[in-house]
Amino acid sequence: MNAPVSNPADMSNPFTAGSQDSWFHTMDHDRISTLFVCWTLGAFLLGALLSLWLTLKSITGEAGDVGSLFQIITYHRLVLVFLFLVPAIPSILGYRMLPQLIGADEFAFPALSRCSLRFYVVGLGLLILSILVGPVATGWTLPTPLSLGANPGFGFMALGLFFLAASWFVTGLNFIVTVHYRRGTDVDFFSMPLMAWGLYLGAYQLAFAGIMFAIVVMYLAGGQWTGRGLFGEGTDPLLWQNYFWFAMRPAAFFALIPAAGVISAVVERISRKEVTGYRLVVGSMIALLGLGLTTWGVHLAGWGQDAQVTFAFSILALLGVIPVALIAYCWLATIYQGANHLPAPSLFTMGFFLMAGITVLMELFLRSPGLGSYLANTMFASAQMDYLIWGALMSALLAGLHTWYPEVTGRSYNASYALFGGFLYLAGLNLALVPHLIMGTRGVAADMMVLEAGSSTLPGISLVGWSIAVLGLLAILGNLGRAVTDGEPAATD
Amino acid sequence: MTNLGMLATWFPEAASTHAAQLDGPFMQVMMAALVVLVVFVGLAIAFVMQFKREGQFPLGSVTLRTSLILRVLWVVAAIGMGLLAAGAGFGVFVDRTEAPFASGTIIVTAAQGDWDFAYPNGHVADTLHVATGTPVRLLMGSKDVMHSLSIPAFRLDEGVAPGRLAETWVEPTVPGTYDLKSNIYSGEGFAELRRAVVVHEPADYDAWLAAVSDIFAGRTLEEVGELLYNTQGCAVCHTTNGAALVGPSFLNLYGHEFETESGETIVANDAYIKESILTPNVSVIKGFQPVMTPFAGILDDKKIEAITAFLKTLSDRGGAPEGAVDETAVDTPVTTETQQEGN
Repeated sequence: MNAPVSNPADMSNPFTAGSQDSWFHTMDHDRISTLFVCWTLGAFLLGALLSLWLTLKSITGEAGDVGSLFQIITYHRLVLVFLFLVPAIPSILGYRMLPQLIGADEFAFPALSRCSLRFYVVGLGLLILSILVGPVATGWTLPTPLSLGANPGFGFMALGLFFLAASWFVTGLNFIVTVHYRRGTDVDFFSMPLMAWGLYLGAYQLAFAGIMFAIVVMYLAGGQWTGRGLFGEGTDPLLWQNYFWFAMRPAAFFALIPAAGVISAVVERISRKEVTGYRLVVGSMIALLGLGLTTWGVHLAGWGQDAQVTFAFSILALLGVIPVALIAYCWLATIYQGANHLPAPSLFTMGFFLMAGITVLMELFLRSPGLGSYLANTMFASAQMDYLIWGALMSALLAGLHTWYPEVTGRSYNASYALFGGFLYLAGLNLALVPHLIMGTRGVAADMMVLEAGSSTLPGISLVGWSIAVLGLLAILGNLGRAVTDGEPAATD
Repeated sequence: MTNLGMLATWFPEAASTHAAQLDGPFMQVMMAALVVLVVFVGLAIAFVMQFKREGQFPLGSVTLRTSLILRVLWVVAAIGMGLLAAGAGFGVFVDRTEAPFASGTIIVTAAQGDWDFAYPNGHVADTLHVATGTPVRLLMGSKDVMHSLSIPAFRLDEGVAPGRLAETWVEPTVPGTYDLKSNIYSGEGFAELRRAVVVHEPADYDAWLAAVSDIFAGRTLEEVGELLYNTQGCAVCHTTNGAALVGPSFLNLYGHEFETESGETIVANDAYIKESILTPNVSVIKGFQPVMTPFAGILDDKKIEAITAFLKTLSDRGGAPEGAVDETAVDTPVTTETQQEGN
């Protein structure tokens, strides 16, 4: 790969001076981003394989040993959330784009960029090691007291999650400090591009969730080891759930904020216009950040939380419709009468509108006090997670990749293949997930299609959908990969 | 609008008052969400297609100021969606927090691989039985880890946490058998948590409860006696292995002779056993204290008969007819008696 060599100005920095030639020691943010592309997409493929395996199991109808089935259910969510959903956009697009968006040469802490990547790889390694030692089968929220009795792999898994959370924290810290102290002289907070805003606000989520989760997961591992302490035997099981969602609600479900930043930038690019209502979008994103930090309790609705508490959290969460609607309005107004071009980014932006739209609208059902209490633990909720991870996050990532690919690599990809793959991906994904949604309204428990789908019709449709979606995704990524070496030189825009 | 739920043919049957009240609001939110999705994505696609201009207009050439009315309308519509979702099934949400006055209570105990449903008369079953038109309160607790009580036909899913008491109630409407399960993975035995909820007509429910509560149905007299021995607290003081605890062991008790505290010699026959159950502290076997609870009014004659039959199975003199147990037979060696029986 012919990644651009880092800015020569960095040669004066003793920390980066020795790292110019090595991919292992590199602190160059472009190279870090390129490495993150490989690791993150690799992790995503691992999660995708586990998802497909689960769907396949539900066709054959052989659930087999429920314990080993739940090992797969647990790890496929852990991998998709901790290794993809939360870090994907900041680590792939953030490390690549943030300095140039705010007029900086390099991040404030290049060594932390490298540190974040290494923590990520160590975390991934420990997670895989825990599978080899003895996989954990508790569900991905690791509920106590069940997780206290989990098998020996639990310690490795907890340590792996600790490193992943530390990786988020380091990335978040790096982004926040960079935005505050490394902005170009002519870039003030309210002239930063919206993508920088999205990454900056997302960095607060990463830093908050990272430090929070890293600490509590160590407490949990200690409780598992000694049987005592904050989450040990005899303590209230809802305490761990509160801490878990306090960290994960902003990081996982509000990963839509950095995605919205990316989509804002792509919308500006495809419309050749500045976004309509810049301050409205920024204000809405800040409001969403606040709501993300204060609404963790909605995830305890089906876990024996008092009705009054559930009601308060639900109403707070439903307030989110206002900022979401404002952002959607601004995007539509930008595209309206724009000089729209760039077919592939446009397709993925429309894909994001569809998938994020469905995710947010499903939130209405799940956070409705009346309907949510029935749906909270069903496949309706897990289908929403899949719409968020596979749909919204992936679409935003692909939109960003296809928008900046020519200027980053200097080569152009084949737009027809990208469109073909994109259509396959979006159609296949909806074919895969609408049956999940229907099964959720029938009360099938979250992620447990294998155990209780009843007939194989809906899982069958779903499997066809997953297959089409994965084929489409492979076509898209293969097209991008091929263009690295075989693509035409990119035309200057 | 309440019949809107009928549109969703994929729903499980609505078998409770709450289920019927939730399906309509669900479909209302579904319809509204579909309209929002189609309008939003449709507009976006239409704009991209309509204003597609390849190679014209550099960045920033077209600006747009949208009207304030449009913006306000858009936000009002969004708030409307939020209120629709907040209101959907809100009545059921509030209603579920408190059971109607004088509802019967079923105590639900969740454990890894096991549900127990304890009915008001003390009967414990592994399935939930309820009657149409009769509100019943479910008091739920867990013995070990997190569980949830999920009954899709009632649109009900309640978390059951150890150390907490969860409460809800249902009023079934349609007789039938429906799924009951846990939606939260609880480790070993998770597959055995798939049980059933059976909705009866009220008369059938009473008949069912009377039938399952009748301990004599489907059991021999001796089995009933053993059941009573285990459930009435006998086992606390009386062993079946010959060891004396607070009271004498039941092994080789029936038909044997004993000396009482007052110095009389009695034979542990049917009459003495009945007396010892109803007024236990009148004639006490030597070496034991008169401390047993009288069971007069708790155990009727038929149950005492069953307990006696159970005691006979524990005694080497239990097989002989009552008349045979006279003064002379008492000293007969065991081997002889069994040989006589065989003849």
